[in-house]
Amino acid sequence: MTRKQRRLTLIGAALSVIALALGLVLFAMRDTIVFFHGPTDIAEKGVRPGTRFRLGGLVKEGSVVRGEGQSVRFEVTDTNRSVLVRYTGLLPDLFREGQGVVAEGVLEPSGDFRADSVLAKHDETYMPREVADTLKKQGVWQGEGSRR
Amino acid sequence: MAIWVIFALMTGAAVLAVLWPLSRQRTAAADDGTGDDAAFYRQQIAEIERDAARGALTAAEAEAAKAEAGRRLLRAAAAAEHAAADQEGEPALRRRRAASAVTLSTIPLVALALYGALGSPQLPSVPHAERLAGDPRGLDLAAAVARIEAHLARTPEDGRGWEVLAPVYLKSGRAEDAVKAYAAALRLLGDAPQRYADYGEAMVVAAGGTVTADARTAFERALALDGTAPKPKFYLAVAAEQDGRRQDALALLADLARSGPADAPWQPVVRERMARLGGESGAAAVAALPPAERDAAIRGMVASLEARLTAEGGSVDGWLGLVRSYAVLGERGKARAALARAAERLAGDAEAERRLTAAARDLDLDITSDSGKEVSR
Amino acid sequence: MIVEIGHFALALALGLSLVQCALPLWGARMRDPALMGIATPAALGAFLCVAVAFAALTLAYVQSDFSVLNVVENSHSTQPLLYRFTSVWGNHEGSMLLWVLILTLFGALVALSRRSLPERLRANALAAQGAIAIAFLAFILVTSNPFARVTPAPFEGQDLNPILQDLGLAIHPPLLYLGYVGFSISFAFAAAALIEGRIDAVWARAVRPWTLTAWLFLTLGIAMGSYWAYYELGWGGWWFWDPVENASLMPWLAGTALLHSTIVMEKRDALKVWTVLLAILTFSLSLLGTFLVRSGVLTSVHAFATDPARGVFILAILVAFIGGSLALFAWRAPMLKPGGLFAPVSREGALVLNNLLLASACATVFIGTLYPLALEALTGDKISVGEPFFNATFLPIVVPLLAVLPLGQSLAWKRGDLLGTAERLFAAFALALAATLAAVAFAEGGPVVAVLGLALGFFLVAGSLADIVNRSWTRGMPLATAWRRARGLPRSAWGMAVAHAAVGLVAIGIAAQAWSTETLAVMKPGEVAAAGPYQLRLDAVLPRTGPNYREDVARFSVMRHGETVGTVEAMKRLYVTRGMPTTEAGIMTRGPSQLYVSLGEPQPGGGLGVRFYWKPYVLLIWGGALFMAAGGALSLTDRRLRVGAPARARAAALPAATPAE
Repeated sequence: MTRKQRRLTLIGAALSVIALALGLVLFAMRDTIVFFHGPTDIAEKGVRPGTRFRLGGLVKEGSVVRGEGQSVRFEVTDTNRSVLVRYTGLLPDLFREGQGVVAEGVLEPSGDFRADSVLAKHDETYMPREVADTLKKQGVWQGEGSRR
Repeated sequence: MAIWVIFALMTGAAVLAVLWPLSRQRTAAADDGTGDDAAFYRQQIAEIERDAARGALTAAEAEAAKAEAGRRLLRAAAAAEHAAADQEGEPALRRRRAASAVTLSTIPLVALALYGALGSPQLPSVPHAERLAGDPRGLDLAAAVARIEAHLARTPEDGRGWEVLAPVYLKSGRAEDAVKAYAAALRLLGDAPQRYADYGEAMVVAAGGTVTADARTAFERALALDGTAPKPKFYLAVAAEQDGRRQDALALLADLARSGPADAPWQPVVRERMARLGGESGAAAVAALPPAERDAAIRGMVASLEARLTAEGGSVDGWLGLVRSYAVLGERGKARAALARAAERLAGDAEAERRLTAAARDLDLDITSDSGKEVSR
Repeated sequence: MIVEIGHFALALALGLSLVQCALPLWGARMRDPALMGIATPAALGAFLCVAVAFAALTLAYVQSDFSVLNVVENSHSTQPLLYRFTSVWGNHEGSMLLWVLILTLFGALVALSRRSLPERLRANALAAQGAIAIAFLAFILVTSNPFARVTPAPFEGQDLNPILQDLGLAIHPPLLYLGYVGFSISFAFAAAALIEGRIDAVWARAVRPWTLTAWLFLTLGIAMGSYWAYYELGWGGWWFWDPVENASLMPWLAGTALLHSTIVMEKRDALKVWTVLLAILTFSLSLLGTFLVRSGVLTSVHAFATDPARGVFILAILVAFIGGSLALFAWRAPMLKPGGLFAPVSREGALVLNNLLLASACATVFIGTLYPLALEALTGDKISVGEPFFNATFLPIVVPLLAVLPLGQSLAWKRGDLLGTAERLFAAFALALAATLAAVAFAEGGPVVAVLGLALGFFLVAGSLADIVNRSWTRGMPLATAWRRARGLPRSAWGMAVAHAAVGLVAIGIAAQAWSTETLAVMKPGEVAAAGPYQLRLDAVLPRTGPNYREDVARFSVMRHGETVGTVEAMKRLYVTRGMPTTEAGIMTRGPSQLYVSLGEPQPGGGLGVRFYWKPYVLLIWGGALFMAAGGALSLTDRRLRVGAPARARAAALPAATPAE
């Protein structure tokens, strides 16, 4: 093989690997990506039931109801609207009423949200960034709290 | 002063260390980069020969490897010929002087300018152990707090510690810590009207002046335990005002102003608040009136509250305000009647009934016993 | 006073770095050894100064000197001594100081390695390193000064974020930084090569130990971080595709590629331009990692510093260094002479494939990490890219890479014999197949992907074994001779075999997680729940008081076939100062497998929510990473250098005792 042929082989190999990677990325982008919505977004953007997404907001005061076993029901609110969330499993350490929370799952036809994972951040003043943005939009958020 | 001497020594050492290679006689002048490359390939060839001798390489492989290394060696040697170094003479000397000048100026200037702008050379170190070992009488408030905190970290079940700490927190602006401390004190020492009232107050401060639902519950508990306590009444009035129930707020404040001692330190605050509320509602500035007229004004307000409650209904707080107002005004009969009507209106609401009963007991308005004890202040 | 001396030393270090950057660069240009010689004392001086600064800050932490703002914010006098010590880098300012300490340490080491480096290369590299030190020292002094003072000093600190009070944290960031910052040396050498317009095997030889060192620490750091997340966060997961984890994975992938391409360059004088580019990209990704973690643009457990002003400063550093070095690359790279030739099927060819796949894998991680940020900045849509995305993109690239790895490591240099190599690997392939079948039979089936993963892992281990065997043994040779020859193999060959086998162990560990179980239970004392092959009985829930926390301890007896084999304790902890609860998982190690217990909320009925995991062979994941690093270390001790000798075409049938890297 001449130097030129070798170089062409090399470039060909590189291009095919890159094309493979690009194809995988584009393919994956279509159905592995999860959007983030607040309760108001759901109404305004018309999120369809069955869509998988992350729901963020505050756990509404007084809304947490523990049921059989480890199932739990609570409402996530951005103070404008709220959505009922159902979840079975252990809740994170800092899951509390009035605290920020992010739940991932599927919107049901009834308008309830069935979560398969619930996240709350490990910091007392923590507010998930998306939740903070949602609340800022609703004009509720007042900064990081008095202490850092 | 000593610190500047140390800084000067550090700077001097740094400058001297950097200037040292400039002043040195150039012993190995030929030792410029390209020589190393040739040495590298010579080493490589030697190593290949060693490996071949040990049998780690076959003769053919060793030959091929050596040939390649040899080619690279020639290339490196050729490159070395090109690179004629310019190390001697006038330009080199000038360069070195310039470099010395740069070094001498840059290092001290940068260090001093930056440190001068950012540092605080006058501040001593204050290790914790030294401060703790210091005279306890000299402890400032923060130190005392730290000691109690340390004590509580070890024995968190000491309720008295929390109770001592809580007001200090509140005063030093750490309202959230105060709330936690009061909560701990309540949990460990049990219910007490004053504790509940202070707990509620801390929550109000923590919430930036808003009487939250939790705070209101605390005040109500305090009031349920001691119907005469001024602080919970005052904050309940604030809560009523905050909810837009101006009449209720006024009634509660009026009750407070009447029931408390005339020289109580909080009286002016209450009057001022009543005046503001009254002013806003278009009624007379009650607080400013002479006692007799004030009494009349209050009676008028209470009557209008009753009319409103009877006509439109109202929350249990509204009714309780009415009952208390009558009780305070000494019109026990009307108070009892209002209580009865409230019970009728709010029938079915267990919480309301409970609170009405509690209020009746507190105010000694038990319908069956009419011993007529003067309502406490 | 000591605090202020530390502060001044930091400012002095900046002055020294300026000199270290400017004068040697000029000296190298003028070929003046005296000016180039300045690099050595300047680099050593800068290191000493930063070390003094770091020592001063450490002393302030150990003595709980609350006149230092940084100590107030991140420490507490009741903390155990160890955590007071580790608090130094458990926060933004301190960790940046550690970053610069390591940076200058590497600079000092380069300055001291006179023998192995050509003078001009060393001077230029130290100048480039000095430039990085200038940027970061200025960053620390101006935007995140750890020596800011408070007066009057508060009497108590605010404590370190409890989740960071852990031995894992003590080790994780320094290791990670040794890795990140170690790549600055590769970067500095690349910049030096571009400035000089000359790059060759000497360069590769000079750069490889540094790359290897950085890579080995980064490997350990990532493994440590993963294990820390595993036991500290209480979710039982070991990799979350969290942006911060990705931030450390990207330089690792690029660094691994760099490691391999440097070998090609050292042995065969080829792939020069690509290697230089890779060195630049690797360090750029390290900087990006710093940026992603430090600026708080990401939602992540690691985001303990959230300050946009700092982010803008780091962004400026990032743009200056990445942009600057890429511009330098575009300008000077065409001047570099092309290197040696090789056939597509050869060790070089295999390493090129390795580089391509690693770079593509790195690119998918890059896209998955940064795409959400870009999308939000452009359209305002918030998305989360998680495990499914990486499973669909990263795995299909990495799996073929691992599958051809044993083949590649057995190919000869310059031109290889694919068939012959495959033949020699046949035994390894058969061994791997047998092991996989045995494992599947024992586990009574499992998901296809996991079985493939197992097979891949076994093939990697067996392939590495076969490589060593093939190098030292031919049919009919007495075993004693083979053993002698195996011992005579260069340590780098052993290092490669160990590291590649370790990759196999990691693959086995990951695949085995398909057989892990998760059980949710609500338990009262005395009740029993099953987890994998074990039964756990909740014996008691007891309160306990630690130095700066209180906790409820749930004690479980672990039984198998009715026999108690031990106890495991899981905790719910409350850190008093911050009023912050944490979950401390209870972990029982049985061989390479682990039983993992995590406590939940007390339930209304009086029971306690508990989550049990049985994780078979999970320790192989981190054990494998340790072996990988050990392989790197083994190779590092081999200071010999060789030219890659091609196997003669007619000698292909002979065992190719090819000298390894």
